Amino acid sequence: MTDLIEVHGLEKSFGPHHVLRGVDFAAPAGSVTVLLGPSGSGKTTILRSMNVLATPDAGVVRIGDSSIDFSRPPDRRAIKSLRARSGMVFQAHNLFPHKTVLGNLIEGPVQVQKRSPDEAAADARALLEQVGLSGREDAYPSQLSGGQQQRVGIARALALKPEVLLLDEPTSALDPELVGEVLAVIRDLAAENWTLVIVTHEVHFAQDVADQVLFLDEGVVAERGGAEVLTDPQEERTRRFLARMLDAG
Amino acid sequence: MPSIRPLVLLAVLFGLSGVFAVTAPAYADDDPRVVRVGTEGVYPPFSYRDPDTNQLTGFDIEVMKAVGEEAGWDLRFVEAPFDSLFPALDSNRIDVIANQVTITGERKARYLFSTPYTYSHGVIVTAKDNDDITSLADLKGKTTAQTASSNWAQVAKDAGAKVQYVQDFGPGVQLVEQGRVDAIVNDNIAVLDYLATSGNDKVKIAGDAGHDVLEQALAFRKSDPQLQQEADDAIAALTKDGTLAKISEKYFGADVTVQGGSKDVDVKASDSRTRWQVVKDTAWPMFVGLVKGNIPLTIFSFLIGMVLAVAAALARLSSLRVLDWIARAYISVIRGTPLLVQLFIVFFGLPAIGLDFDPYPAAIVALSLNVGGYAAEVVRGSILSVPSGQYEAATVIGMDYWQSMRRIILPQAARIAVPPLGNTLLSLIKDSALASLVLVPELFREAQVTAAATTEYLPLYTMAALYFWVVCYLVSLAQGPLERRLSRYAT
Repeated sequence: MTDLIEVHGLEKSFGPHHVLRGVDFAAPAGSVTVLLGPSGSGKTTILRSMNVLATPDAGVVRIGDSSIDFSRPPDRRAIKSLRARSGMVFQAHNLFPHKTVLGNLIEGPVQVQKRSPDEAAADARALLEQVGLSGREDAYPSQLSGGQQQRVGIARALALKPEVLLLDEPTSALDPELVGEVLAVIRDLAAENWTLVIVTHEVHFAQDVADQVLFLDEGVVAERGGAEVLTDPQEERTRRFLARMLDAG
Repeated sequence: MPSIRPLVLLAVLFGLSGVFAVTAPAYADDDPRVVRVGTEGVYPPFSYRDPDTNQLTGFDIEVMKAVGEEAGWDLRFVEAPFDSLFPALDSNRIDVIANQVTITGERKARYLFSTPYTYSHGVIVTAKDNDDITSLADLKGKTTAQTASSNWAQVAKDAGAKVQYVQDFGPGVQLVEQGRVDAIVNDNIAVLDYLATSGNDKVKIAGDAGHDVLEQALAFRKSDPQLQQEADDAIAALTKDGTLAKISEKYFGADVTVQGGSKDVDVKASDSRTRWQVVKDTAWPMFVGLVKGNIPLTIFSFLIGMVLAVAAALARLSSLRVLDWIARAYISVIRGTPLLVQLFIVFFGLPAIGLDFDPYPAAIVALSLNVGGYAAEVVRGSILSVPSGQYEAATVIGMDYWQSMRRIILPQAARIAVPPLGNTLLSLIKDSALASLVLVPELFREAQVTAAATTEYLPLYTMAALYFWVVCYLVSLAQGPLERRLSRYAT
């Protein structure tokens, strides 16, 4: 079986900063890939390259049957097609503050995918139930707790029925007591065989859900493997990083 | 969901473009020729509104009507401040000026004049207790109040006076009375009418402004000799059958349409209403001016101005350098020049390059451009204050630039922009009073017209101020609920 996600030779510089130096990885459908590494190691840039929020200088990204070779300037239609394959959950949720919870969820399906509002709303309600927020359809984001906001953020990404869900440090901005409820939702998604790519610092959580762990350092994949990378790292810098994370946790 | 909908506003803009139709000169072969007559309407007893009927009347108006009837013209009267009359003639917005235009050498070089229909002489008006000035020679080094384009300004200057410019005769007299200027030089008939109407005993006729008899006539464009010829024929006929003499007797108790007639002028008060009656009678015309002039001007200009502001703001934020530069230049020019100058350029200047707007559209064009320039930076700042994560979230759910602007960014920016844009709107309501200078009838113009005929400046201008204040107050009342509505999602 071919992989659902293929990333090959990804290069990206921001000015003098060489953030990605040839990143490769692949992930089959239904798998959970965890990107781990110190800040500035390029994890988030990988995610943002996968939906072209950042445009890589070189390399290939393929999700399903959409792919872009960034050695040439990508055309608009290719970007649109690749973006449609994934949904994204932001660290700072980035919910639309002027729209209700339901409004946030149906915005993409109705405005972009041109689905009927009624049908989109019915799907949205089912998603809200899945993330444990039934009954909060008419609330504005500002009326929700941080954990609830992030769960709406996840539901909004899922509402577009993407093939892959990209999660960029989904719990980093949350108060510690709110982290659990969000991780529980992501765990459920993993159990339902969603294909996930997660940037996270939650090592224990990663141990639970990861099928594949990529440890990034200075723009390269320093170590990769299954969840065992987290318990039995081979590389010195992985070991040091994990020790720091576990101390802090 | 309240949201700025640029496309809808754009549609309004294009819908309006029908209003901006270019006026063609009104020539026709068989129908009576339409002749547009420019006149002040604030210069009694020559050109003013009858206090009882609010209809345009006066000596010049009646002469003009008689000439028009004789010549077989279809007359359309256009009221404008004196200083706007010659630009209006130049830019083909009127065909003739009937407003006691004195024939001077300078004017003769640029315009055609009919046979004179008034012979008058100039007088000097001073404060009652001023004994320093009795002749033109005494004006040397003194200050006089004159309308800029009137020949009396030149007379005063030639006598060595410093000239302060006023919009029409009435305010000039006020300045004399208040001691802000020393004197005013004007036509003896106009002065006598003023003294009779106002009962003003604080100013007096201090002496003659020279002994030259001045001739007043209808003024035409150089390119319109046919009109001039027809007018001359008509005036000759009207002189012969005694019509002109009769009109003159009615207003002046003397025949000023022949040389020497103005010496015997005896003017009766053209208005004898009480102050309260004047204010009461003018309240309705002022209200009509507000509803038909200021309010629609404000609404259209604000809507179009907002479209321009959003467009200019987006251009400023565009990655295309050219767009940014164009928007910067636009904003800089609008903010760096007086609105009055912008109005005059649009109305009196642009016809020179073939852009000929009617008064109303011209005022809307100028006011819209002005509002757009001022609001652009407000809108830009509001857009910039929306966090960049909002663009990213809109992008990853698949929205293109316009969708994310329309659905996500602008509605959030609107909330931030409403309080400062409210101020812009209040300024616009007040600025709409300037539209009278490009011939649009509006509230303040009505106040000026009646004030000129009755000299009740303080009560009438106070009432005009009151009208503006009430409108602005109502708008500011509406602002609170709008802000709350736009902010209802924020904690």
